[in-house]
Amino acid sequence: MSGQPDLGRADLVSMLAELTGKPVEQVPHRVGSMELAWLVHLVEQRYGTQMDLTDDQLAGIRTVDDALTVFHTCLPASADG
Amino acid sequence: MYRQTKDPAAQDPGWVDDVLFAGRPTDVCLRLPEPVDRATLHRLVTEAQARLVAAGLRPGGAAALRLPPSLSYVVNLLATWRSGGQAVLLDHRLTDHEVDRALRRLTPQVVVAPVRTGGGALKVFVDVTERVTGYADRPAVSGHAVIQLSSGSTGPSKVIGRTAADLVAEVERYTRIDGVALPGERIILLPSMVHVLGLVGGLLYGLHARVELVPPERLGGDAVLAAIAAQDTPATVLGVPFHIGLLASTRPDRPLPQFTRMTTGGELVPPAVVQAFTDRHGVPLGNMYGMTEVGVIGTDLHGSHRPAIAPAPGIEVRESDGELLISCPASPYVGLSDPDRWADGWLRTRDAGTVDPVTGLVTVRGRLDSQVSVGGLKVDLTEVEATLTGLPGVAAAVVTYDDGITAYVQPDGPLSGDALDRLLAERLAGYKRPRTLHLVAQLPRTTTGKLVRSLDVLRTAAP
Repeated sequence: MSGQPDLGRADLVSMLAELTGKPVEQVPHRVGSMELAWLVHLVEQRYGTQMDLTDDQLAGIRTVDDALTVFHTCLPASADG
Repeated sequence: MYRQTKDPAAQDPGWVDDVLFAGRPTDVCLRLPEPVDRATLHRLVTEAQARLVAAGLRPGGAAALRLPPSLSYVVNLLATWRSGGQAVLLDHRLTDHEVDRALRRLTPQVVVAPVRTGGGALKVFVDVTERVTGYADRPAVSGHAVIQLSSGSTGPSKVIGRTAADLVAEVERYTRIDGVALPGERIILLPSMVHVLGLVGGLLYGLHARVELVPPERLGGDAVLAAIAAQDTPATVLGVPFHIGLLASTRPDRPLPQFTRMTTGGELVPPAVVQAFTDRHGVPLGNMYGMTEVGVIGTDLHGSHRPAIAPAPGIEVRESDGELLISCPASPYVGLSDPDRWADGWLRTRDAGTVDPVTGLVTVRGRLDSQVSVGGLKVDLTEVEATLTGLPGVAAAVVTYDDGITAYVQPDGPLSGDALDRLLAERLAGYKRPRTLHLVAQLPRTTTGKLVRSLDVLRTAAP
């Protein structure tokens, strides 16, 4: 593995579970602007950095998988990658 | 049965200068983060009045503002009122379909909309270059100063009007509530100023009481704490319950003695969230209860009555058959009014609740109808369901709230989830759209053919 940040789909789903109070298996895969703001907030806290996201990037995110793809382009690759 | 209500007369626009512009010219009104003082705001408003008038706004006419939270929104709102016009507030997240329907009904003389927005993602306040265009050559539908749309079916009770006198009375009410930000202090403003909490509890109260309004640079816990830290004056964070989570999960990197309080409106906050917030920041978490129709109804700004609230000064609350009723001298609904919503000076909230006969404290226990709150924004599930049912390819739909808006859809032919998503995105603002969509071959029905709404049955139908 190389070039991928240390952030997986399961991480995002567990962050959404924290927001919604649902078990991870019941977290919807669609995300709205509120869920997205929450994910950006927690991911930035985890990496101690501000992701340089554009309006267009955010507007294109409709699912957890979309969010993961966009976040990967904005985060540093993992140290052991 | 609906009946015609007495249409309020428009009020002289002098109230804007008397109530909102009465402070010193050098007082800072907004920090974006560059300070905007009262003299600058007044100049910008005067200039905007000229543009509105040039585009066709006349006293007694309406201007529809389809603007995101921005200096442009503030300026055009105040300019509309100062021109003797009615402001029709359209949330910028509404789709073209939703806006067109509203404009046809409310016939504003001008529409103010962005030609360009900027500033970056997750901004609380954005940079807007706006354009004013003529729309209809008719007077406003009523003498109300502001028109707000509440999510709902197309029923006539969902266009909500408030008079200038009513807005001024609410601002005055805020000045008499113990625990609000005081003159010279700051409000860190998170809710949209298109909706009542941010509009009156933030913008109008702030302008009147000489409280600086500070939208954080972006929507995130660090940005809110940075906004608090940017000045030494006391700061109250105004938000909705979602924002509590952002702050509860953010550790300040320095002491913030100026952080005075956080106050939220919207739905009830779970005790664990309250605990997490107060453990982290050590300041009171206040709670407010209000409605678009009347504004603030009650508060518990010290967090000492949770989950109950004390009625705001001048507001009477009573309980009738388990429902909370609010004193409201005139119907807030434009044109035709449904006596099931307002009658004889009382507004039916559709909130279940109780009023303590000894203390007068009010406890809200949840909705009696299909309205839910998504990040502080009200969404009527019947609107979502009616929209889904009206889409091509949909035979029937049931929309429920299952820790999020959840739709069960029975197609009448080949229909993919993605196709349904695209159709919905053209018709419903994002916050109204289902987070979970289940396509089912056959929706469960009763023996008489009615759609079943039980969550247990629906979950079984779409495992």
